Amino acid sequence: MANLSDMRPVYVIGVGMHPYQFASDTLYIDMGLTAVRGALEDAGIAFPEVESAYIGCTGIGMAAGRIMFNHLGSTGLACTQVENASASGSSAFQMAVLEVAAGRRDVSLAVGVDKTGDQLRAVQKEKVSRLSDTATIPLVKYALMAEHLKKEKGLSAEDLAMVAAKNHTNASKNPNAQFRKPRTVEQVLASTLVAGTTTSLMCCPRGEGAAAAIVASEDAIRRLGILGGKPIRVTASVLQSETPQVGREIPSVTLAQRVAEMAYDEAGIKATDLDCVELHDAFAIEEILYTETFGLAPKGAGQHFLRDGGSAIGGRCCVNSSGGLIGQGHPLGPTGLGQVHELTRQLRGENGERQQPGARIGMAHMIGLGSISIAHILTKD
Amino acid sequence: MTALEKPDLYELDGTGPGLKLIFGRCAACEELHFPRTGYGCPRCGARPENVTAEARAGQATLLTFITLHAKLAPGITPPCVVGEAEIAPGMIEEVMLSGGAEQYRDGMAIVARAEEVERDGETRLACRFAPKEEV
Repeated sequence: MANLSDMRPVYVIGVGMHPYQFASDTLYIDMGLTAVRGALEDAGIAFPEVESAYIGCTGIGMAAGRIMFNHLGSTGLACTQVENASASGSSAFQMAVLEVAAGRRDVSLAVGVDKTGDQLRAVQKEKVSRLSDTATIPLVKYALMAEHLKKEKGLSAEDLAMVAAKNHTNASKNPNAQFRKPRTVEQVLASTLVAGTTTSLMCCPRGEGAAAAIVASEDAIRRLGILGGKPIRVTASVLQSETPQVGREIPSVTLAQRVAEMAYDEAGIKATDLDCVELHDAFAIEEILYTETFGLAPKGAGQHFLRDGGSAIGGRCCVNSSGGLIGQGHPLGPTGLGQVHELTRQLRGENGERQQPGARIGMAHMIGLGSISIAHILTKD
Repeated sequence: MTALEKPDLYELDGTGPGLKLIFGRCAACEELHFPRTGYGCPRCGARPENVTAEARAGQATLLTFITLHAKLAPGITPPCVVGEAEIAPGMIEEVMLSGGAEQYRDGMAIVARAEEVERDGETRLACRFAPKEEV
């Protein structure tokens, strides 16, 4: 398998977003165009410079991108729709990165946009029965894992609430976030109990929104006159799917570790080199598990990393400064690109009151139902 | 006689409410798997004709359990209890438990038994696990 490091360098040159929000009458085209125009403006280029586009979405329907791009001028660009569940935006980004890295295009756009669709899942068409009626619901899997870790390693409901309170509070400072209220540990614990010790504020909301990123080659950056420290290099792009469960660990967690290690290898870094991470915290327990599997904290010590402020903005490696899926939101198609938006701004030093001091290397990580895991590492040259 | 809710997964064991679980055994790799499907062996990818049904006693070891407080799926009525159980060596499945959480503890032996549930206005026999000593 060819590594990104063996191919030509690829840079993020522009990012844009439409704020994530609860289900509304806003048309997906309005949200998508807002994100794309934001990314074009951020890059300082015109739409005809974009040679190809990948659109990540799950709930809109066929040919969403082609219809949307008609309203930016019919440039004839290559246009492909990407569906990979929660990782649709991340996968669209990977397609754009690999196309530029391979030398096939110089400027490519990835945009994620979604409405709250019918949430139909292929597993519902599999015609395979399960002993439990909730066997394919990720929330239940993670709530069971939280219960196991409570007894095994002393993980408490307060620890889970601390993750959610941190991410809700980060989101309160993020104008693109779906939730904009700072929350305390007590407020999170007092919200509606859902499963085991997991409460509603420990879970990501459903919603809608859009996010976009434009990537380009060095040749294009020179030709388009993009200056200074703005381009952020993509140094790793890795995607794998899960293998059967061995022992107690959830397969998606084992998978996340494998993908992170592959990404570190591709980027030539260690976990301790990361300054900021945006990860898949659909449920609070996931952030604790992934900080361990990513090597940010020793195995079994994720809650201590959290309690000691290691994952706070200004900590050793800030985690989910955007608010994560819990606070910024999880509209599926855009989510992974919203992470790229946050990391790009972090690495440029443009993230305002959510700025991680001295940030140079960041990782975006998503899980897609099934499960797949995908990670991108972004580096300030 | 009341029909089973998921006859592809279990069958009555002839001792009242007791259930056997129906596994798949692959002739190509000789491995056991659950659930058995019509698609073949999920371990080695062998075609369906290589897989035979193997009914085994519905006995398991409960590993963890939680109470669900929200109606997360159409078939459940909260509060209800779900758990993870080892249904054969190394094979962990999510299972639905009978009654309240107070009767369960990690590591205990549990058994599968048929319990009546309402599905679309009809009564069906569903698989619920219960503490072994109760049966």
